[in-house]
Amino acid sequence: MSAAEAAGCRTADDVPEDLRDDLASLLLSLADNKRLLGMRYAEWLLGAPTLEAGIACSAMAQDEWGHSRILYAMLKDFGKDPGQLEHEREAGQYLSIELLDEPPAEWSGLVALNFLLDTALSVQIESLKESRFEPLHYKVRKVLEEERFHFEHGRGWLARLAQTPAGLRSLDGALTPAWRSCLQWFGAPDGGLIARLSEEGISDAGPDELRARWLTRVGPIVMEAGLGLAESEDGGAWRSSADFDWSKWDSARRRSGDGALNSETLAAVRGDKNRAMLMD
Amino acid sequence: MGHLSGEYLYEIFARQKREDRLEHIGTISAPNAALARAYAWQTYDEQKWFEMVVAPREAFEAVNRDEEPFTLSPAEAR
Repeated sequence: MSAAEAAGCRTADDVPEDLRDDLASLLLSLADNKRLLGMRYAEWLLGAPTLEAGIACSAMAQDEWGHSRILYAMLKDFGKDPGQLEHEREAGQYLSIELLDEPPAEWSGLVALNFLLDTALSVQIESLKESRFEPLHYKVRKVLEEERFHFEHGRGWLARLAQTPAGLRSLDGALTPAWRSCLQWFGAPDGGLIARLSEEGISDAGPDELRARWLTRVGPIVMEAGLGLAESEDGGAWRSSADFDWSKWDSARRRSGDGALNSETLAAVRGDKNRAMLMD
Repeated sequence: MGHLSGEYLYEIFARQKREDRLEHIGTISAPNAALARAYAWQTYDEQKWFEMVVAPREAFEAVNRDEEPFTLSPAEAR
């Protein structure tokens, strides 16, 4: 069923019951990833290689937190309590990608999150721009306008680091694992949550199509930087040779196995130090 | 204005409304055009711009003066 054929939904109650949990799970996954990514950007505010990069990290952190706020607030309509989601969950309840479990040790690690993960989140969000769930339309547009500059920042730093042999080695070490995780994050080709939401017109792309869109965006730029992560067939479709074991895949958390945020990350993202100041 | 090796100066122009003219609003140091675009947008963010463009300082030709374009004072001359 395409988005145009399916009945539009103005509120969560209009969403067919069997889809409601899946949609809430997708929104929570985007909110959690953005909240954590914003924290990773903020951690480099004072340690970035140039003052301009530090300012950019501050701007991107604010953008990500803004986006996550919007997404957590949307979950109210699904009967969730945004305050509980933001401040009271355990590490294993975060629907975040393993790349955000720990802070990146080097600037190239932040560039990998900026260029590969932030773009993956944008590709997933863009697939909701004509969603049957109408409250997403305006919000998606606003998020994508801001994300345009995150992409520029990521590709600019990729090109900059790739100019020296040491920079290229550092990039290769950071991008190789992030590349795999991002490709897998789009989910198992069939039967999972992302596939269902696409079949029902909530999003306009299933896992393989999302992977293809992401590869089209990041593939040419990583190749130009001299990293052998993706290839294109005669200048046509981009592909990657990675294949995945889906047997331990958790379709809601969008990751394999039972790893989770480390304790420092959990305390920071929940705002544990500010608990006394929570008003309601 | 001094800058790191491998960095270039980019001049930033912007306008708030379509009917406005582009105005020179500042300068940024960046290693390439993608970062110049990101830095310009993220640094000059107090206004809601209708349009912003950047160009490398090197692209500007002096017309009536011998000193380099955009020089504000003798101390700033490179």
